[in-house]
Amino acid sequence: MRFQAAPALGLLLPALVFLPLVALLPGAVHGGGWQLIAAFGMAALQPSFTPALIANALNGIAITLAIALWSWLLSMAIGLIAAVFSSPTVTTALWGCRWPAHWLRRLLAIPRSLHELLWGLILLQLIGLHPAVAVLAIAIPYGALVARVLSDQLESLDKKPFQALQVAGVAGPAALFSALGPSLLPGLLSYGGYRFECALRSATLLGVFGLGGIGADLRLSLQSLQFNEAWTSLWALALVMFSLEQLIALWRGRWVQGRHLLILLSCLLLLLFPAANLLDLQWQVLLNPWRLLPADQLFQLQGWWQPWPQLISSTVLLTITAALAAFAAPPLLLLFICPWPWLQLLLRAFGLFARLMPPPLTALLLLFVLKPGLLPAAIALAFHNAGILGRLFLEGLESQNQRPEQALLAAGVTRRRALLMARFNGLAASYMAYGAYRADVILRETVVVGLVGVGGLGAVLLEALSSFAWAELLPVLVVYALLTLLGEELADRYRRFLLFNHTQLGGVSTPQLELLPRGVPGPA
Amino acid sequence: MLELRGICVPGRQRPRLNNLSFSLASGERVALLGASGAGKSTLLAVANGLIKPTAGVVYWHGEAAANGGRRLRQQARIGTLWQDLRLVEQLTVQQSLNCGRLAAWPWHLVLLNLLIPLETSACSKVLAQVELTADLLPVPIIQLSGGQRQRIALGRLLRQGADLLLADEPLAQLDPPLAAKLLNLLLHLGSAPRALLMSLHRPDLLQGFDRVLGLRCGELVFDTHPARISASQLQDLYKSDQNKSDQT
Repeated sequence: MRFQAAPALGLLLPALVFLPLVALLPGAVHGGGWQLIAAFGMAALQPSFTPALIANALNGIAITLAIALWSWLLSMAIGLIAAVFSSPTVTTALWGCRWPAHWLRRLLAIPRSLHELLWGLILLQLIGLHPAVAVLAIAIPYGALVARVLSDQLESLDKKPFQALQVAGVAGPAALFSALGPSLLPGLLSYGGYRFECALRSATLLGVFGLGGIGADLRLSLQSLQFNEAWTSLWALALVMFSLEQLIALWRGRWVQGRHLLILLSCLLLLLFPAANLLDLQWQVLLNPWRLLPADQLFQLQGWWQPWPQLISSTVLLTITAALAAFAAPPLLLLFICPWPWLQLLLRAFGLFARLMPPPLTALLLLFVLKPGLLPAAIALAFHNAGILGRLFLEGLESQNQRPEQALLAAGVTRRRALLMARFNGLAASYMAYGAYRADVILRETVVVGLVGVGGLGAVLLEALSSFAWAELLPVLVVYALLTLLGEELADRYRRFLLFNHTQLGGVSTPQLELLPRGVPGPA
Repeated sequence: MLELRGICVPGRQRPRLNNLSFSLASGERVALLGASGAGKSTLLAVANGLIKPTAGVVYWHGEAAANGGRRLRQQARIGTLWQDLRLVEQLTVQQSLNCGRLAAWPWHLVLLNLLIPLETSACSKVLAQVELTADLLPVPIIQLSGGQRQRIALGRLLRQGADLLLADEPLAQLDPPLAAKLLNLLLHLGSAPRALLMSLHRPDLLQGFDRVLGLRCGELVFDTHPARISASQLQDLYKSDQNKSDQT
């Protein structure tokens, strides 16, 4: 039999992952804490309004926002500079050779390969507990990631205007700036907006691990079962995240003029000072001699004897399970609720909650009713990422051509079937491409749910860092980094393949880049 | 078969359809004539249920247009050939043709259609009816020429097994020989027991139709046999429409 798989199938098939998940669920339930889960749910309607608590939550949010702002600006600055010098076009124009760009690109893979939490915990050992740690922990991997995305974008731009200026005798840097700058700007702006949302989520997450801000309060109130207090923080966080997302969407949705950009930049720069004050940032701390890790323990050979197959396979299994579930949940839920449009509002609210809830805290809640292991870890990661993917999926659906769907509706096809056949098929390729990118993110993120005892590389890393087991740290770190780099490469290839196929099939030159976090590179 | 009674659809400046009534019997092939903006597309969208009129009733085989499942079953008997075709570009020809069966199929067939070729012989037959060959079946829509796509859209409508064919200016973007071919095909397919309601803006293509409706500013100005239209009536249809839209 001949197959002719339609793209929409790619949205539905990953949902098969729910079958083993549901099958495993009864065995994983210990059933002790259903009342606790219920109490947590009920508390959503009764957040605590004690003035002291509200003041505390506001302070926590302000710190988280300040960390996000500083780390974001720093990462954009690092990323922009590194992007310029890791672009072969630029190095050729400046020095007449390509190798500096290639080497910088490879070098940047190292900071990118570690999750910001790992950077945070490592810097914590080196510098001590200081607000600058959280800022740096986010800025380092983000900077390298921004550099990669922007230099890819720079390389995909049309080089002819640049060559024209060069031939006309304009000096290299000036030609670069005036020929490529303007076409890079829209992508840079919308990608920058997306990165700020990411920075806010990361800053919240780092708080959960004690690096300051609202995350710390959240963890404390959840662990001490003060759910009403937890919801005070959660509602406040939801409010901030919702308004920020709306603002950024507004900002990304329209063409920005130069002077708007200047106004915004100066506002942000002005905000930096109160933010630094609030965080009590003292950059000179970084100049103090760092407390180096004991080299004799760090480089011990015995640390390299680890049950690698088991560690790697459980990390990969966790990644694949969480990624498939996070990917499949939004299309499946939307298909299910599509006859009742008002339910979409509820789904959006649920998605917002999923995005703002750091995965380790979801895992913590799940441990009330589930035994530690793969299942709570996978569900927590999938829940958080489904919130992020779901928002992009909805955005993509709304920007799809509605007419083929209307044609089916007019021919008496039900809403659900029309949605599946028309817009799902239209959106599938770019959503799958984005899903590949997200799977790569999830692989790095496996470390944050290490504490629920899933037994992968992330768990060992967290364990090694908290118990000062230096001999174990380096090998596991290296293997984890290699694994994430391999994952990145695979996801990248798959994405390029998908988008290339899509352009071949779709005949459109830019395959719905709006679905990608505007600026994640499309086809080269 | 289809009857519209007192249909009103409001528009931004003037009503898109104003108290419009007409009926159409099985076997009738009716042309809908009028300048752009006269309300032809709106009338077709009311007939296929995409636009709900603010006043008036649509009757299908003597039964008022319902809501919910019954309305869907009524709509499944009405097939539309859209001006912009509205094919799902990511599907193959066979999947696109089978989209005509979506309303009738059980869910498992809807899903299977995404994976394997279904009802190949029926699809080949439909392709032959629209004068295409069966080797196109596995080809993605995106790789087809404009003329081929138009035929596939028509084929989807035949797969739907519709009693009433609606066509919205299907000849507008075709060169004369292709237009003549498609028109013949539509007239042939629209004969009894089916019926055809097709909007046009070229009065020179009226041969072969049983009736012509003249539409101007959302109102019916004549309903007659093509042979009985006078030159002044035609001139009036376009000229006065021009004046009227100039005034607005």
